[in-house]
Amino acid sequence: MAVQGRTRTGRSRADRRAALLAGYRPLPGAFDEFIDGQGEVRPHWEPFLSEWCALSPAELSQRFGLADRHVRDTGVSYRVHGDVDARDPGFGERAWPLSHVPLVIPEAEWQVIAAGVTQRAELLSTLLDDIYGPGALIAKGLLPAAAITGSPDYLRPLHGAPGGGSLQLYAADLGRGPDGRWWVLQDRTQAPSGTGYALENRLALARAFPDMFRSMNIERLASFFQGFRAGLVARSKRVEPRICLLTPGPLNESYFEQAYLARYLGFLLVEGGDLVMREGRIHVRTIAGLKRADVIWRRIDGDFADPLELNAASALGVAGLVEAVRQGQVHVANGLGSGVVEARALMGFMPAIARQLTGEELILPNIATWWCGQPQERETVLDRLGEMSVAPAFRGNGGPDDAPVLPGELSETERDRLRQRIVARGMDYVGQEVVRLSTMPVFQNGRLEPHPMTLRVFAASTPEGWKVMPGGFCRISDEPDARAVSLRNGVRSTDVWITSEEPVAQVSLLPTPDRIGIRRVSGTLPSRAADNLFWLGRYLERSEATLRLVRALLGRLMDADPAPGRSETVKQLAGMLVAWGAAGGGPARKDPVAQARAALHSLDDYGSAAASIREARRTASVIRERLSIDAWRLFGDLQRQLVPEDGRKPSEGETYEIADRALKSLAAFSGLSQENMVRGPGWRFLDIGRRLERGIATCRFARQFADSHASGDSLDALLDLTDSQITYRSRYLLGASLLPVLDLVMLDPYNPRSVAFQVERLDAEIADLPTLADDGMLEAPRRLVLRLAADCRTTEAERLDRTSVLLFEQLLMGLSGAIADRYFLQNSGPEGSRMTSIA
Amino acid sequence: MIYELRHVTTYGYGRPVPFSRCILRLLPRDGSGQRVEKADLTITPRPAERSDSVCFFGNRMTSITIAKPHRELKLEMRARIVVDRPAPPHPGLTRGWEEVARLAQESNSLAPDSPAHHLYPSRLVPPVAAVVAYARESFGGARPVLEAACELMARIRRDFSYDPEATEVTTPLAEAFAQRHGVCQDFAHIMIAGLRGLGLPAAYVSGYIRTIPPPGEKRLEGADASHAWVMLWCGPETGWIGLDPTNDLIVADDHIVTAVGRDYADVAPLDGVVIGPGSQKVGVAVDVVPVG
Repeated sequence: MAVQGRTRTGRSRADRRAALLAGYRPLPGAFDEFIDGQGEVRPHWEPFLSEWCALSPAELSQRFGLADRHVRDTGVSYRVHGDVDARDPGFGERAWPLSHVPLVIPEAEWQVIAAGVTQRAELLSTLLDDIYGPGALIAKGLLPAAAITGSPDYLRPLHGAPGGGSLQLYAADLGRGPDGRWWVLQDRTQAPSGTGYALENRLALARAFPDMFRSMNIERLASFFQGFRAGLVARSKRVEPRICLLTPGPLNESYFEQAYLARYLGFLLVEGGDLVMREGRIHVRTIAGLKRADVIWRRIDGDFADPLELNAASALGVAGLVEAVRQGQVHVANGLGSGVVEARALMGFMPAIARQLTGEELILPNIATWWCGQPQERETVLDRLGEMSVAPAFRGNGGPDDAPVLPGELSETERDRLRQRIVARGMDYVGQEVVRLSTMPVFQNGRLEPHPMTLRVFAASTPEGWKVMPGGFCRISDEPDARAVSLRNGVRSTDVWITSEEPVAQVSLLPTPDRIGIRRVSGTLPSRAADNLFWLGRYLERSEATLRLVRALLGRLMDADPAPGRSETVKQLAGMLVAWGAAGGGPARKDPVAQARAALHSLDDYGSAAASIREARRTASVIRERLSIDAWRLFGDLQRQLVPEDGRKPSEGETYEIADRALKSLAAFSGLSQENMVRGPGWRFLDIGRRLERGIATCRFARQFADSHASGDSLDALLDLTDSQITYRSRYLLGASLLPVLDLVMLDPYNPRSVAFQVERLDAEIADLPTLADDGMLEAPRRLVLRLAADCRTTEAERLDRTSVLLFEQLLMGLSGAIADRYFLQNSGPEGSRMTSIA
Repeated sequence: MIYELRHVTTYGYGRPVPFSRCILRLLPRDGSGQRVEKADLTITPRPAERSDSVCFFGNRMTSITIAKPHRELKLEMRARIVVDRPAPPHPGLTRGWEEVARLAQESNSLAPDSPAHHLYPSRLVPPVAAVVAYARESFGGARPVLEAACELMARIRRDFSYDPEATEVTTPLAEAFAQRHGVCQDFAHIMIAGLRGLGLPAAYVSGYIRTIPPPGEKRLEGADASHAWVMLWCGPETGWIGLDPTNDLIVADDHIVTAVGRDYADVAPLDGVVIGPGSQKVGVAVDVVPVG
């Protein structure tokens, strides 16, 4: 038996291997990472392949499931530009397409890549210093000035400024040619993206294949990030610097990555509007006033960083940032002008620059490039036009469109037109050798297939010099011909495993900030984050109120034994949904069931539960780095619950069920925030938002359902809406009666649903927030909430009527305004309109 | 020629502005055949912070912060300037335009006056094929660069009508070109787009021109205006020559330069971020008085 079993396993392993490799045919003329010229699996892939084949199809899919869940749960996403569809519960965010087969590179080969990337980072760094400094390389004739001045990223105001072109993070896009050599396809010096994706891909595959990580000696990534952070810290004058990650905002395609990295590295995630320049320094606007920013890691293009001295049309930047840089009061990484050396025009000069600066050849060649701004090079390109790729010499300077073209594939007329343009303004174009990329395996339909790929490798400037991330971000094309791989075209990505002969130093697979030795940033909360947390709380509470209305309405409609005054209560509940903006009024919607449905699902009614959750999620997406994965997942659940099934009207009972389930999910969110969120100022603003909204809604309910002529059924509805039914029944044997009900929902400080209770909480939260001045005077929000608290404590139930309840409601609204005025940005952001005028 | 200049700009806001940060480019620069004897800029209300500096292209910049609420911002520039430009070369004796284009592309200087800075599209001067085709008609064969450029300038003056109502600061160049009308700024941008499209280095100049009142009439106070024109690099020997397409003139001693850049965006008299101004009204008064 034992022998048989082994044989069977052995055979099935071999079978699996055979099946896996069966259709694997490397593309003609391309290098394949996996299979050599003789059709044999390359030795450094064997450990991976044998581990893979040891897994049954069921085990494999279970492991893929683990990786994919990791990707989905952490919300790894990629936002495609302009693809924001409010009706899509994912809001245009797409789960990152992860390919489950990593790219394996043996360490010996990697050393060459790392040395080449380091050399290039050093060269580009020197070149940048020269461009924004003495200009010696240009004066010597190694580089024509026009190869620099055509770049929109050549930022003249940074000339001579300290760190104007400094490089802290460099990325090179590499491809491997048919001869097996790695080539640099493109330099990334502006604000390279992908480090966060690389980290995420690593965590996802590590979750799927922990055993491979143990057995294959795969180099870890954590120390790279440690070095990068130390490099940024070293640029600050203060020992405990405040480091900000400057993001273009949640609509940016790599916003997730930015939020993720900010959390991972312990940086403050800020938008331009969060920063302000005063007296030559950059500050973050926080709820405790202005706090100095020492280092800014920017993920916006340099040109957009300062509307005063750079692109005046930019709303992403900070007015005065260039001046602060010039005065040496803030370090921006990469330097604002660093993008200039990304230009393709420069690639042709790199070999000569390397020789001049280092006396050495480039370790990694870049693709052969001819800048047509030089007569001889232009002739070369025009002579060999059919076999080259032609691309703009500079990125989007208003000149030719950015995508490279293959003149050989153009029609004759089109080719002639291109030729004329090159003759007229050669400096706008480069000709480049067409490089065929190598292929690597992708697991599809139960077997491996070769797909073209490119590899992005990162280098960080650390206090110990340049350090290359041992791994990277591998992008895989779905097309068999990959000469231009763009993330936007639905490509996959995967992890990169550098395998060592020796066991690698054990660093945690799941690095957390404390494990990479990161200190906490100062606990100050940026005003924008406070604003969003506040509104998140309000929207969540608002949807809860709508859901309770819907439930109360439907419960009454379905009641087989209606109480007296029922039809009036139903009318009032439905009327409230309309007044709330949760359902449209009008003759078409006379039907209360239709109104209840609209109040749940309609995205066109701003007060509906679905619309409020949409707003809550939008608000939350802006402060994603502050929310837990579980909290984030609840938004998905809620949105799914509130999207109606296509073309079917749910019955009254079903609609009731939906509202009930959604209320449970909201309760889960409250539980999460109560139990799992640190009681810092962030949590306080979330709570303040909820309490305010709940207080306001309760006042509205009380005005509607508890006026002096209210029926028992109406008061009953009020108890339902405020979730106070059980408390009431336990205290009073009789049915709902006006004064006890009013006291319970308005004034009782022990009822967690009462207005008085909300006010007590608001008072406690606001008392714990920082104050701006220490002159002993109360700030406006505190003053207002104290007055409200005193009113709640001293008012008697018999004195409550519509007017006095309305007064409570107005005071709460006033408190909301006072909080916004004191703590939030309040049109102080870059939306402040510009004045530009010709005299 | 010696000039006394006065340029007053007043911004009025619908509601009080609590805070503004601006960069002003109102003080005239030295060079290009002129010397600034004295120049002052008075700002009301008094800025909380003010610093004067020189930008990459050598223009004078004043950065200000006004931190107290204000309904009006008044900028008053006064200067005394000596203008004495050498006579321009004979257009027919300048280098061939293709040669000038090649020399500019080969320049090995990143200095502020290098032609390399003015070869490419810029924010307000995108490449417009129709404009380049229009310009090309004047640039046949190996024609001397200044001769061809003067012809282009004359054609713009002839083909375009001056119409202050037709365009605004924000009107795109292509639109002004298609409509064949605009103001000095549009004509300058159009001419620059044409020259750069041919590979020639062309810069944008802001400043003033002396106006001569009709015979027998007195010069009206504040009736002058700021002006804009073009500079073309004509090769290393000749350097930059000013060309005024609005008046079909090679720039001599009637023009006073404030600032030079790639286009209007580089030399805008005021760039700023103000908080919540609501509406704004701008008033301008300019006096260009020759005093000797």
